[in-house]
Amino acid sequence: MSSRSARLPAALAGIALAATLTGCAGTDADATAASSSPSSPSSSSATSPAPSSSAPASASAAGQRIEVTVTGGGVSGDTGRVPVAAGEQVTLVVTSDTADEVHVHGYDLGVPLTPGQPGEITFAATIPGVFEVELHESHTVLLSLQVG
Amino acid sequence: MTLLAHGVGSRTDLPIPLGLALYGAGAAILISFVVLLLFWRTPKLGGADSGRPLPDAVQRAADSRAVRTVLQALALAVAVLVTAAAFAGPQETARNLAPWALHVTFWVGLVPASLLLGPVWRVVNPLRLLHRALRPLVPAPVAAARLRSLGLWPAAGFLVVFLWLELVYPGRAEPTTVAVFLLGYAVVQVGLALRFGAEWFAAGDGFEVYSTLIARLSPWGRREDGRLVLRNPLANATATPAVPGLAAVVVVLLGSTAFDGLSRTVFWQTGPGAANDTFSGTVGLVACIALVAALYVLGARLSGRLAGQPEAVQPRRYAATVIPIALGYTVAHYFSLLALDGQTTWILASNPFGLAGVDLFGTYGNEVDLTAVSSDAIALVQVGAVVLGHVLGVTLAHERALLSARRARASDQLPLVVVMVLFTVGGLGLLFGF
Repeated sequence: MSSRSARLPAALAGIALAATLTGCAGTDADATAASSSPSSPSSSSATSPAPSSSAPASASAAGQRIEVTVTGGGVSGDTGRVPVAAGEQVTLVVTSDTADEVHVHGYDLGVPLTPGQPGEITFAATIPGVFEVELHESHTVLLSLQVG
Repeated sequence: MTLLAHGVGSRTDLPIPLGLALYGAGAAILISFVVLLLFWRTPKLGGADSGRPLPDAVQRAADSRAVRTVLQALALAVAVLVTAAAFAGPQETARNLAPWALHVTFWVGLVPASLLLGPVWRVVNPLRLLHRALRPLVPAPVAAARLRSLGLWPAAGFLVVFLWLELVYPGRAEPTTVAVFLLGYAVVQVGLALRFGAEWFAAGDGFEVYSTLIARLSPWGRREDGRLVLRNPLANATATPAVPGLAAVVVVLLGSTAFDGLSRTVFWQTGPGAANDTFSGTVGLVACIALVAALYVLGARLSGRLAGQPEAVQPRRYAATVIPIALGYTVAHYFSLLALDGQTTWILASNPFGLAGVDLFGTYGNEVDLTAVSSDAIALVQVGAVVLGHVLGVTLAHERALLSARRARASDQLPLVVVMVLFTVGGLGLLFGF
């Protein structure tokens, strides 16, 4: 940055940068609100993303059911950041078109997947924090479980 | 291998509640304005010669070549063990000591160690021992004079390399990556020290410079005559020499922490960083550092222009005032990592090579307790660290302005204060989640 540059452009640049910074924040808040949009554009539209959004996927007395489908490397269903109340019973159902293994970080839970067969993990969400759920082999991130 | 942020780790923090973030930001701005405008009209902090001298015995022990050699030999032994475990231990990240020892216990642990004990890595740096051992075998250093003009720029460069490895490189958590990094870093650093002289480490070893920088907010200082003193941490920070590259180091630390926070937001993971590859990560890291640098240089220069000070030295002159802000960011982002995932290091240290039946400390069977610190406590530490860092940063900048010109108008500092407020709001915003 040259020291003799005019004051006005410099100040404008500062405002623009500040706007960029706070602009990111605004975008982020929007992203949270619609956390269940499909994360990959390459996913097939066969299972259209139900707008279950940040409301629990299907909360009931029996706990919360989170369903995710992986097709051709794309993830659809309850993706993004999924909030879960601490202590709640969570049932995670993953259906993939390839053989892999689901892994819930932090809780360190896993279940092997066979193509087309839903794999299911049920556990009590007792550890607060944000935990990624991923496919172990392909490292595809399915969702982030937000417990708290 | 996990694909989580910051090297290794099994969890990230819950977003802090909006209310807490707003209270935090409001408190930070209010407190700093009150301090700035009402109570602080003359320089109040002691300079480089302030402080209460420590007892002679402490001074002798701290300056003793023998004590340093022993400590450095111990650190070297641990480093060799960790590197050997990285090569020969279990190759699964979750069961290998090295990634946890480097990314969590060493890198994050260096912060509380330096804050409480002073520039510890300068004292125990094992590379200094290697350099002393090899020095008689090679010709005398040839470029010692050139080093001084570089200031801390070499350290800023090496820090960027390590932070890129920690935050971007996809294989960052692999034991082999850690082993190659540790060996490569040692060879390059010792090689450069043989060329530039032993002063290299204080200017070019990223870890030593990081530790020394954080120690500027510790109560332990050294007077200009070499006497060790106990003094107000803020006076310690004010006495930081404004060498070239100081601003670069601070900006790199601040920008990389911002990127670490950004990279775990839904916005990043589904937007610019959706590809989750080296390219998007590198661009994100560089963009965050560049944004922080641009804002900081702009604020410091505009403040300097308003106050009629030479603009070119302003970023360097005020760099030490950003140390508390960078520290606040760091504590907010990594406190829980050290407290929770850091347990893994002590579990795995009980059996570094994964041999059957080995359990040196009886901890190998332990499980990491991810509930050891409640999420409420984590949120309070996060907001508290960012707010405190902001208040101290603004206070230091104000003191620095008064030192530069006794009759400085508080309004001259407005551009820099605005930038610091942006850093605080941005830091809280990233912790607020998304």
